Amino acid sequence: MISSIVKWVRRIFADFDATHREKATALTVMEMEELENIFALLLLGSFAGFPSPPTFLAVELLPYMERELQILCKRAKDCNDMLAEMFGTIGID
Amino acid sequence: MKILFFTGKGGVGKSTISAASAWQLSRKYRVLIVSLDPAHNLGDVFGVVLNHKKQRFTDSLYLKEVNLQKLCREYLQREISVFTDTYRYLQTINLDNYFSVLKYSPGIEEYALLTSIEDTLRSERDFDYIVFDTPPTGLTLRFLALPWITITWIDRLIKIRRDILEKRHTIYRIRGLLDDKETILSYDENDDDILKRLKTLNGNYQALSSVLQGKDCGIVLVYNPDTLSLKESKRLIDGLRDLKLPLRLLINNKIQIKYKAMADHVDSVIKSLAPAVPIQRVAFSERLIDGQNSTLYDIEETILSPFEMK
Repeated sequence: MISSIVKWVRRIFADFDATHREKATALTVMEMEELENIFALLLLGSFAGFPSPPTFLAVELLPYMERELQILCKRAKDCNDMLAEMFGTIGID
Repeated sequence: MKILFFTGKGGVGKSTISAASAWQLSRKYRVLIVSLDPAHNLGDVFGVVLNHKKQRFTDSLYLKEVNLQKLCREYLQREISVFTDTYRYLQTINLDNYFSVLKYSPGIEEYALLTSIEDTLRSERDFDYIVFDTPPTGLTLRFLALPWITITWIDRLIKIRRDILEKRHTIYRIRGLLDDKETILSYDENDDDILKRLKTLNGNYQALSSVLQGKDCGIVLVYNPDTLSLKESKRLIDGLRDLKLPLRLLINNKIQIKYKAMADHVDSVIKSLAPAVPIQRVAFSERLIDGQNSTLYDIEETILSPFEMK
């Protein structure tokens, strides 16, 4: 009985800790994803009509850019509601 | 090994002057002359047929014409094959051939030229001198600028990449992994494939750039005593200065007695733009006009005399 209560309390503290850690890094996660998005956009800008670096540079890095491309696509999909996402991250309702 | 690039406006006599210089140098040194101009006439100057492979002319002089179209084709073929491999399923509905449009990609010529220079410098280390006869000004400036442009881009991309890794590290330190299924995103510089590739590319281009800007490399500008040639030479001198490429010698080619005043004027303007660079004059030769003479490369003036690469 006591051990299950201790387990339960531990779980509450662990979840509380995880929630706070998650909250503390939310803004940094968003910044990181934006940076990854910018990185992909700069390198593969010709897809979106931007001036791009020498073609072969994009081709050289393309095989390693799966994650960046996924973020680029996600951002393209969510771009209509970016303001809402930012407000959500910084806790403005 | 010393490297010389002969450059200038189209038709000023770059090929003849570079061929003559290579011929004169080959009396003392082992020399390879490479024509990078898509409109080759190196073979014509030496009176031989060149087939895009290095060819012996004398024991100390070798000739080569670079096949730019073939280089572009090979490079793009490699890229197209990667695309068609990835999208192999399109072969079943005969749509894979649409990727062939990639061969019209802009900027490939410059890349092919630069790769060809890099390959030549790496593989031909037995020669004392490598002489490059370059295409006309516009294309030459673009491919000489390519290492610098690429390095600038790589520097910026490396900076962004480092910022990304720093943020990943911060997130990992504070938050850790949410569950067992989440994978750790690489945050160490030695684990990130993109940063590693960028650093390798940066190293290659820095090396090439330092060779091109180094003491063993020299750009020789050939021009004629006329206004158009003067204007283009001004642009080239400015372009070379921006790229920090070493202009070592100026050659005023095709000078005639009756136009000596114009030659003097052109030289004085050029001298004001590049005061430390020696000027060599080469007289207009009627012997070169008839085209019947097989020694088109053997001109009277000692071309590289005012310029010694130590």
